[in-house]
Amino acid sequence: MMTGHYWRHNSRPLAYGAAGVGLLLIVWQVLATGPLSGTSLPTVGQALSALGEMLGDGAFWEDTAVTAGTALIGLAASIVVGVVLGILIGTSQLLRFATSAVLEFLKPIPPIVILPIVVLILGPTTEMTIVLAIIGCAIPILIQTVAGVFDVDPVRTDTARSYGMGQVEILGRVILPGASPFIATAIRVSAPAALVVTVVAGLLGGGPGLGQSLYQAQTAGDSARMYALIIVLGVLGMAFQAASQLVEAKALHWHESKREVQA
Amino acid sequence: MTTADITVNHLTARRRPRRRSRRVPSWLKWALAVGTPTLLLAAWWVASARSSSTFFPPLEEILTRFQQLWLFAHFPTDVVPSLANLAGGYALAVVVGIVLGFVLALVRPLRWLLEPIIHFVRSIPPVALVPIFITMIGFGNDMRITSIALAATFPTLIATMDGIRSVDGTLKDVSVVYRLTRTEKFTQVYLPAAAPQIFAGLQVSLQIAFIVMIASEMLGASTGIGALTLTAQQSFMIADMWAGVLLLGVLGFVINKLFDLVKARILAWYFGAKEAQRDS
Amino acid sequence: MDHATPVPRLAVDRLCKSYGSGPQAKEIIRDLSFEVAAGEVVCIVGPSGVGKTTLLKCITGLQPLTSGEARIDGQPIDGPPEQMALVFQDYHRSLMPWLTVRKNIRLPLRHLRLGRAEENQRIDEAIEAVGLSHATELYPWQLSGGMQQRVAIARGLAYRPEILIMDEPFASVDAQTRFELEDLCLRIREQFGMTILVVTHDIDEAVYLSDRVVVLGSKPAHVVEVVTVNLPRERDQITTRATKAFVDERTRVLSLIKNPHRQEMADA
Repeated sequence: MMTGHYWRHNSRPLAYGAAGVGLLLIVWQVLATGPLSGTSLPTVGQALSALGEMLGDGAFWEDTAVTAGTALIGLAASIVVGVVLGILIGTSQLLRFATSAVLEFLKPIPPIVILPIVVLILGPTTEMTIVLAIIGCAIPILIQTVAGVFDVDPVRTDTARSYGMGQVEILGRVILPGASPFIATAIRVSAPAALVVTVVAGLLGGGPGLGQSLYQAQTAGDSARMYALIIVLGVLGMAFQAASQLVEAKALHWHESKREVQA
Repeated sequence: MTTADITVNHLTARRRPRRRSRRVPSWLKWALAVGTPTLLLAAWWVASARSSSTFFPPLEEILTRFQQLWLFAHFPTDVVPSLANLAGGYALAVVVGIVLGFVLALVRPLRWLLEPIIHFVRSIPPVALVPIFITMIGFGNDMRITSIALAATFPTLIATMDGIRSVDGTLKDVSVVYRLTRTEKFTQVYLPAAAPQIFAGLQVSLQIAFIVMIASEMLGASTGIGALTLTAQQSFMIADMWAGVLLLGVLGFVINKLFDLVKARILAWYFGAKEAQRDS
Repeated sequence: MDHATPVPRLAVDRLCKSYGSGPQAKEIIRDLSFEVAAGEVVCIVGPSGVGKTTLLKCITGLQPLTSGEARIDGQPIDGPPEQMALVFQDYHRSLMPWLTVRKNIRLPLRHLRLGRAEENQRIDEAIEAVGLSHATELYPWQLSGGMQQRVAIARGLAYRPEILIMDEPFASVDAQTRFELEDLCLRIREQFGMTILVVTHDIDEAVYLSDRVVVLGSKPAHVVEVVTVNLPRERDQITTRATKAFVDERTRVLSLIKNPHRQEMADA
């Protein structure tokens, strides 16, 4: 997979990057054992051993699975809600105009604003987390779906209709494929957001998963464990980013190649 | 016959065939846009008016508490500090993000050195950084501003870095050929050229700053809109909690709208150019 | 050539340019040499894709040469010289989209520290010379391609370089305006003593404008011949173009482009 060409081309940036990480660790260690030794900053060793401890702990893996799983469920639910409603609204001029103001208002509001209410009603549960994820992710997906549906060249739908295609068929064969780049991009942006909302729900709302583990570590003053959790969250975040980019690329590739054939 | 020199003005340019609003006259469009939220609010009012549910107090009560709390009793003690922290943290993030982004865009070895770290820290959910700062700095305003600043720096930093790196080579050549000084090159060519991308980063940074502001208050503070809202929730003062949520929602919307206005003004040239491109 | 000839303004000496190295190197330009004297108008013509833009970028110091030298007043060029301005072929991307026409033209003048009055005078003159007086407050994206190209030319003019290099400057302009701009070139040469080097694919234009025409052959780019245009210094769009001398010169250049090797063999 890593061809010789890749290494030749990328070896210097990679070397620098590795050096950068190494430098960071050294600076961290120096600060932790020197000027900041009395503070809560753990040494690299303490953080790494806390990390090692966690990785050997079954409960940690359970929490990780819960966080990742809840985020994915929330994302999936958001996609369903967002795409279905988006298509409904996108295909109806009336609905589009009616909902435009409401969506414009809701769009910039982050789910953390609603968190107190949702936690109050649903308690510190997985359901609460999923509802928050839907609130956070469904609306951007919805808006993008509407834009995608709207963007579909009306000439195409007219042509399809003139060939006698029914509404449902037009939906599946003309509108959805046309809107899919927009939808794919919205999903790619929402996937990391779903993870973030899940962590926020855990940290601030007591929902199960790594967010709550972080909160517990903080109240217990266990800073080594906190740092270890942060590292895990960073890795998880990067994994979600990478996965969503891959999915988007696949979906767009399919879209492009399908378009080639049609054109 | 000079056909090549027709001034193409974006107001008169040929547009892509747009859907004609076949059956919807514009007064109806307007009515729908304004009417739907009004109707929803009215429905909420009526539906909750005689509610005895603890979770959903009457809208009337919520609005009353809203006025009592925020206009203007708690305004100086809670709203102002919250917004001041937001403004301070965001301003810091913008300056650091743009300057550092500039430097990293132009100094390749430094960029290679720091890029992996930047992308890793950026992937950490911003709110998760708040507990770290609480244990390091405590519960005061310093912690809040630091959290906001750090979390909000990254989108701007990355956007600036990408934007400067993707300045059109021809524009760079122009600044070399006409012997612009370094300062001129950076401030008058690179910065405006990268502005659209930088603004995209600035907008995400603003949203993150807002979120971290709320989170930092909910995790450890006694003053601030977020803190008050959470306290209300924990004390079962439900109408107060709703009032806080409402204020946060309105603030989130207003702040974003203000940003959109600033962006539209500064990037007017960019949106004009894009539209002209789309229509050609 | 007599030995009292002064050092040429611009000299290209066995310029070679290749991309890549080793056996996969792509040779674009090989052993290209020619000279431009002060106050001359020289046009470079050749088949399309031969590498004329690359040649200009090497001459102006925007790209490094593989070997050989470009010299200005005898001094080697290693970066765009102060006295030189380049009007890019890619005019659309060379204008700053956030600046009006006027501000675009003004941009290179600012660090010359001319003072407001002189600056404005130069800008007004340049704008009027290219015929864009009605468009000074418009943005590049509000202009047609031809108008954008004229803005790029005006920018070069306002800068008042001693050597003006232009890459296909009239390609997007309609015929009428093209004639006006060609005459503009000749006027500024007379008025300012500017040395002008133009890359063009239009042979009529090359013959009309130039004192000498450098004809390039391809694969890799090299000088086929430098044609001295035997036309009087005073040129007129209508009368000059109708003369037999014009037609002869044009034929000569055209045949050099079409059959470079046959001509080279015939001359040998």
